[in-house]
Amino acid sequence: MASFERFDDMCDPRMKPKILRNLLSEHVPNEKQPLVDFQSLSKVVSTISTHKLLSEPPSSSPDHKKLQAKPSKSAVDDWVERLLALVSSDMADKCWVGVVLIGVTCQECSSDRFFSLYSVWFNSLLSLIKNPASSRIVRVASCTSISDLLTRLSRFTNTKKEAVSHASKVVLPIIKLLEEESSEALCESIAHLLSTIVTLFPAAFHSSYDKVEAVIASKIFSAKTSSNMLKRFAHFLALLPKANKGDAGSWSLMMQKLLISINVHLNNFFQGLEDETIGKKAIQRLVPPGKDSPLPLGGQDGALDDASWNSEQLIVSRVSTLMFCSSTMLTSSYKSKLNIPVASLLSLVERVLVVNGSLPRAMSPFMTGIQQELVCAELPTLHSSALELLRATIKCIRSQVLPYAASVVRLVSSYFWKCSLPELRIKLYSIIKTLLKSMGVGMAMQLANEVVSNASVDLEGFDAVSSKTPSLTNNAVLKSCGKKRKHSANSGAEAENSAVEVGVPHNHSLKIAALEALETLLNTAGALGLDSWRERVDNLLMTTATNACEGRWANAETYHHLPNKSSTDLVEFQLAALRAFLASLVSPSRVRPAFLAEGHELFQRGKLQAEMKVAEFCAHALMSLEVVIHPRALPLDGLPSLSSQFPQSNSLASQKHNTLGLNKSDRSAVDGSVLSNLWLADVDVPANSEVQRSVDTTLPLREAKRLKVGNDLVGSENVQQADDVLMKVPESAVESLTHVLDRDDDMVSEEGYREVVSETQEGEGLAAKDSLMEEVAAVGKKQESLGESDDDSVPSLKADDYLSSDSDIES
Amino acid sequence: MEISVIASSSIDGGIGSWDLKTGTEQLRFKQCASPSHGLTAVGDKFLAASQLRNASASSGSIFFWSWNKPQVEVRSFPAESVNALAANREGTYIVGGGASGDIFLWEVASGRLLKKWHGHYRSVTCLVFSGDDSLLVSGSADGSVRVWSLLRLFDDLQRQQQGSTLYEHDFNEHTTSVTDIVIDYGGCNAFIVSASEDGTCKVWSLSKGRLLRNIIFPAAINALALDPGGSFFYAGSTDSKIYVGALNSSSDYATQSLGSVSEQGKAVTCLAYCADGNLLISGSEDGVICFWDPKSRRLVRTFSHGKGPKGPVNNIQVVRRMVVGNSNKAQSSWKRNVSSLPPPLEKYERTGDDTMDGIVIVDPPPLSDVPVYSSYHSADLINEQVRELQQQGSAATEIEMERLKLEYKKSLQMNDQWQKNYENLLQVVMEEELNGSSN
Repeated sequence: MASFERFDDMCDPRMKPKILRNLLSEHVPNEKQPLVDFQSLSKVVSTISTHKLLSEPPSSSPDHKKLQAKPSKSAVDDWVERLLALVSSDMADKCWVGVVLIGVTCQECSSDRFFSLYSVWFNSLLSLIKNPASSRIVRVASCTSISDLLTRLSRFTNTKKEAVSHASKVVLPIIKLLEEESSEALCESIAHLLSTIVTLFPAAFHSSYDKVEAVIASKIFSAKTSSNMLKRFAHFLALLPKANKGDAGSWSLMMQKLLISINVHLNNFFQGLEDETIGKKAIQRLVPPGKDSPLPLGGQDGALDDASWNSEQLIVSRVSTLMFCSSTMLTSSYKSKLNIPVASLLSLVERVLVVNGSLPRAMSPFMTGIQQELVCAELPTLHSSALELLRATIKCIRSQVLPYAASVVRLVSSYFWKCSLPELRIKLYSIIKTLLKSMGVGMAMQLANEVVSNASVDLEGFDAVSSKTPSLTNNAVLKSCGKKRKHSANSGAEAENSAVEVGVPHNHSLKIAALEALETLLNTAGALGLDSWRERVDNLLMTTATNACEGRWANAETYHHLPNKSSTDLVEFQLAALRAFLASLVSPSRVRPAFLAEGHELFQRGKLQAEMKVAEFCAHALMSLEVVIHPRALPLDGLPSLSSQFPQSNSLASQKHNTLGLNKSDRSAVDGSVLSNLWLADVDVPANSEVQRSVDTTLPLREAKRLKVGNDLVGSENVQQADDVLMKVPESAVESLTHVLDRDDDMVSEEGYREVVSETQEGEGLAAKDSLMEEVAAVGKKQESLGESDDDSVPSLKADDYLSSDSDIES
Repeated sequence: MEISVIASSSIDGGIGSWDLKTGTEQLRFKQCASPSHGLTAVGDKFLAASQLRNASASSGSIFFWSWNKPQVEVRSFPAESVNALAANREGTYIVGGGASGDIFLWEVASGRLLKKWHGHYRSVTCLVFSGDDSLLVSGSADGSVRVWSLLRLFDDLQRQQQGSTLYEHDFNEHTTSVTDIVIDYGGCNAFIVSASEDGTCKVWSLSKGRLLRNIIFPAAINALALDPGGSFFYAGSTDSKIYVGALNSSSDYATQSLGSVSEQGKAVTCLAYCADGNLLISGSEDGVICFWDPKSRRLVRTFSHGKGPKGPVNNIQVVRRMVVGNSNKAQSSWKRNVSSLPPPLEKYERTGDDTMDGIVIVDPPPLSDVPVYSSYHSADLINEQVRELQQQGSAATEIEMERLKLEYKKSLQMNDQWQKNYENLLQVVMEEELNGSSN
């Protein structure tokens, strides 16, 4: 009977229950029917979310078709019943299906249904987690489903208390599970559930806080899971202070514990590599004498005393996980004021970065070669974590790094010269970017030279031949600094006789990082380097951009058969190069940017590329360059009228609004042409910022002057005169160009402009004058009709003022 | 976020605040008599103003008000009388310029005096942070304008090595006291405009560190405000007119004016440009605050600052402040925490070991009380687990299978070996037995 029913279209709500029943009978197993095809389950989930099969019209609403609503309800009822039956099944696979589908139902079903059923679901899921007999896959699914259930529950505001009590019921069982189990998948879903609880219901950890901390800490210390898993645990640990009243005190306590633990580990690891007093001092700073040191991380039985002290790998794994945890604590947002122990953090970073694996002379007898080898193998990981911590610290305190900024700069720049591993240099560049962004010009003054010389070493590799891979000794840097241009000129010839791999997409990430750092530098302080590093950077960026885009442009789609990311990497590199090049063109300069022509050509070509990201950016770049070649005058005319904002404004002002509005509408047409004529004149002026400004600024004033003259109805000669000044600029623009080109000094160039103005007075612009006259006449009529409303208290300048200023110009 | 205009006076009229949109007067903060440039909003957290005191007082005073209480909440007493006061945009540092020419830099959260240095020979009249808050521009009664890099001020080591001066630029062209300084939106290439009692405004280039223009006005200039278009500025003068100066016009003289604030020739004492609605706000010696429409050059609204004796308005600021909503209770306890003001500013720099305790207090980011959401995960998990289940026939299991096969083979061999051994042993025993029995 049902099969004869016809539906309107694919969105017909009557269709939903039918599809749901169909799914239920064919793809979801029941007590008798075993699960055959796992793949169909994904299909079920996607169908449910596409058609919103589990959504129901709210029961209270008088729905239009009661008859249709009823079967739909029962379809969802069937669905829910089936799931509960599956969850209580003995077969692991059926139980699993039930559990995962409950998770999906939590997300999809209507609020009424969720509200009436969630505690039933919760209890059956919880019993699965608690039951020692249930299989692993079921437990994994249960954790995730509970997490989704709690997520949905958190959106109901009226059940906060109940939700918290539910959430707290689940904490201890999963922590117990975590202690016993070490399977990766289970750990992951438990970590996910814990993170969900701590973000949504921090109060749920109230009674079990110490226990949770201890278990997570021991997991981190045992380091038996993958590094990815360790990071997840560390992330959760970083969020945990939110659960303990969420105040600044618990945050500081956790941070203190972490830093102590890291330093104690380092004391051991750096034995023989550094002065022992450094470690002592670090601990002393964290626990000032006279104050009680907090319990070690993870409670009393913190795993600091186990026998594995000698495993360098284990120590480094612990330290980097703990550092990751502190970085996350620094960067994740908290609701209360935090006391950031900046000095301890910075000295910890410095402590790590200073050790480079070489032995101090006094210490050498105490360390065997093997020991040193083991330490050196792990040092890069440690340095990388320390740099990450430094970045997080700067990001966290932003401008307040000020008192420490000088030492950070020294640390970063001295480490830059020592560090040769690409991965670490990438991190350094990103630290520099963070510093420049948070501290602006002042920081750029300090860092500019470091950035420029290091970035040119890293970028040089691109246009240099492969035999001359950048070595990072001081020598190479000096060479590249001094002979930059010669070098790039030679590269073509050298390329002939040495083996060069052409067009092999290799790893560009270091160059991308260097380009981004240069771009940030230009953005913050491009004008500061005009006398020193700017020319070199412009040159470097032009070469890099043209080389990056030479030959074929990258197109991510053509590399489909390459599974790795090498092609997108090339796209990223091109984008970074183009971005930095644009910054060098737009960043303020005294003369016309040297590579303006190259830039236009490059971006024009790039706009036609198939790779959308590159094309998109090139279009944007052309738009930005448009402002460079057609600098804007920004007259006041664009502003919105204030009459709407102050409708009933008091006193004299209100009478004036009428005239004001009229003036505006009459003016706009004329102004457009005048402006564009003036802009025509501007186009030929070289991109000297001072000159542009001088040309621009006169415009609005002149406009205003003319307006005023019009309003006051001074004799038409004055209008004519002002008119002429405006109109004749184009013809003399060529002359002004020569004036300006001759002399670079800005004050002189203004004189150049003044000359232009005086010359223009001789000509006549007839067309515009006519229209202006009309306008003046219109305004005049209006004013007459309004009568002499000019109140004395409203300030207005006499026409003499303008005339005198005009004569100033003429003289 | 709510935008309002605040204004203070040199006689004790408190700080008035008005809603920008409606023009209604809001809370009046009590007990404030501040010098020109002595009023500042610290981030969007609270208000601070330095106080005028009689000359006999040995110390200056700076008061804090929180947004929602009229009473002074925190009083600090720096070592000397402070004229100019400014805070960076984040509201993390306050700088004050003293009557002796010293400049003080306090950390707001802890109240610590981080740095004190001798900036000018005479009293500091105005202080302005650069667009990115990394540079400080100060003007003084001795006519000099100096640019300081805050970062370098803290870099004692480098300074000792290079022996350079504390300041980045020193502009000395003004002949009399500098009254106001503005810095435009040009970033590192910004223009600095300074006004002086000598009747000139001078335009300086930050990147080049030298004078670009000198503009002569008919009267002494008290206050400056920049047009956001960057091409001209407004200058409030002692002859009650607001002049328009072009940063780069061809003329050395500025004669255009927007209008005058009073008929009695009362001086314009302060100016502010409000980006929201493009308004110019002026304050004058007779206590009148005027709103101007810069486009039509007309007055659109006037307020009077004081109700009783009309003291001059000498500070106007457009401030944005957080609207303290009455949202649910869970957040109110936190709100109470936030609204409590920082400790008073300390009088002296700390010395010795105590200089740095290495702690920086960081405020929570604004709007951190938005509800948290987490995302659903079940659907992804299903796909993941289904893939896992389907892969059971693949790599991992195959390897396991091979390993088991190999093990099975090994055990079979082992079994054979044992069996052989057993048989051998049995044979030996049997032989022994036979031999024994035969013996």
